[in-house]
Amino acid sequence: MTAMLVLDILLVLSLLSLATAALATNDARRSVILFMAFGLVLALAWGRLLAPDVALAEAAIGAGLSGALLLTAVRDQAHRALRSSRKPVHERGRANLRVTLEWTVTLLCIALAGLLAWALAQAFDRAPKDTLAQAVSANLAISGVSNPVTAVLLNFRAYDTLLELAVLLTAALGIFALGPARPGHRAAGPVFDGLARWLVPALILTAGYLLWVGAHAPGGAFQAGATLAAAAVVLRLAGRRSVGLPTGHTLHVAMVAGVSMFLAVGLGLLVLGRPFLGYPPAWAGGLILLIETAAMLAIAATLVLAFFGGRPTPAPGVAEKTS
Amino acid sequence: MPELLAVSALGLMLSLFLGLLRVLRGPVAGDRLLAMQLIGSTGVGLLLLLSLLLDQTALIDVALVLALLAAVAAAAFTGQELETRDD
Repeated sequence: MTAMLVLDILLVLSLLSLATAALATNDARRSVILFMAFGLVLALAWGRLLAPDVALAEAAIGAGLSGALLLTAVRDQAHRALRSSRKPVHERGRANLRVTLEWTVTLLCIALAGLLAWALAQAFDRAPKDTLAQAVSANLAISGVSNPVTAVLLNFRAYDTLLELAVLLTAALGIFALGPARPGHRAAGPVFDGLARWLVPALILTAGYLLWVGAHAPGGAFQAGATLAAAAVVLRLAGRRSVGLPTGHTLHVAMVAGVSMFLAVGLGLLVLGRPFLGYPPAWAGGLILLIETAAMLAIAATLVLAFFGGRPTPAPGVAEKTS
Repeated sequence: MPELLAVSALGLMLSLFLGLLRVLRGPVAGDRLLAMQLIGSTGVGLLLLLSLLLDQTALIDVALVLALLAAVAAAAFTGQELETRDD
């Protein structure tokens, strides 16, 4: 179909021009907006390539949440530059260091790109066997879910996902080390407040839906966690100080929920005489949902912490009840 | 019927591409963001058409998530404006 061919060419052109523009500009804020637009078009491209799982993750994380995180980071940086502009120290030395750093990063990127190109060429040289995809579809019946991506992530390669959650936990600990969270945002005007009232329930509902649908269609803990975190981000932007993120011990429990639920299930199965994370087929569906629910909470808590940019503190003057 | 869908999808893609020119040219950050919201809405329509064309019902969920999260991006932008106005 010619129409689809033209559509594909336009998609590729859009992606390339957005990526070039995002990298070419010196204005960090402009770069972030272009990157968000790039994520949006990339989600369309994944959809066109019949990869709805990746498209879903890109739409949730690339087009929405990371944009909000990056915009906040850019604003922080601008504030800091404003504050430190009064005392220029070792300006020349810093400029030299900067050039050296830029070149080092550029060379490392080129090396990495070369390595990736080499790996890709190797992969194309091999005869297409698809043995992994065949193995997955042959064993899908005993995985407890009917979505092959969830089957791989939470059953066949559950160990990988456990370690990914451990990486997220480490990131959350790193955020705690940054000190107290940023001050909140101003109270929203009537328009934004109306949007928040409409958007937040829809986001929470969608998160629950994505978690549930992950068993038999694209979805799952990561997309659901990102959507849930987006609800908290909207609340925070609308001027609410506490956005449903617990404080104190409850927050610690939420942060480790994913890893600890995974480990509890894995070790429990070991005690029962099965391999680590080797679910009995009859229980697999329920266990996967249990782990995914805990993982969603941990992922959402970590992403909200990243948006806070530090350890959440109780409101000064205790004008508001945080619970 | 598939031809009609494909031509409609192409029409949306053309509109998205034109919106993209505004994202690329600006000149103000607000222009880029508004144009991005426009291509977000167009993208939702395009995903819905693609879900019929490619027979992928999951793309409807992608359209749903995209519609919700594009609003979050706009919120992040305006929320920032509110805070930095006079501090």
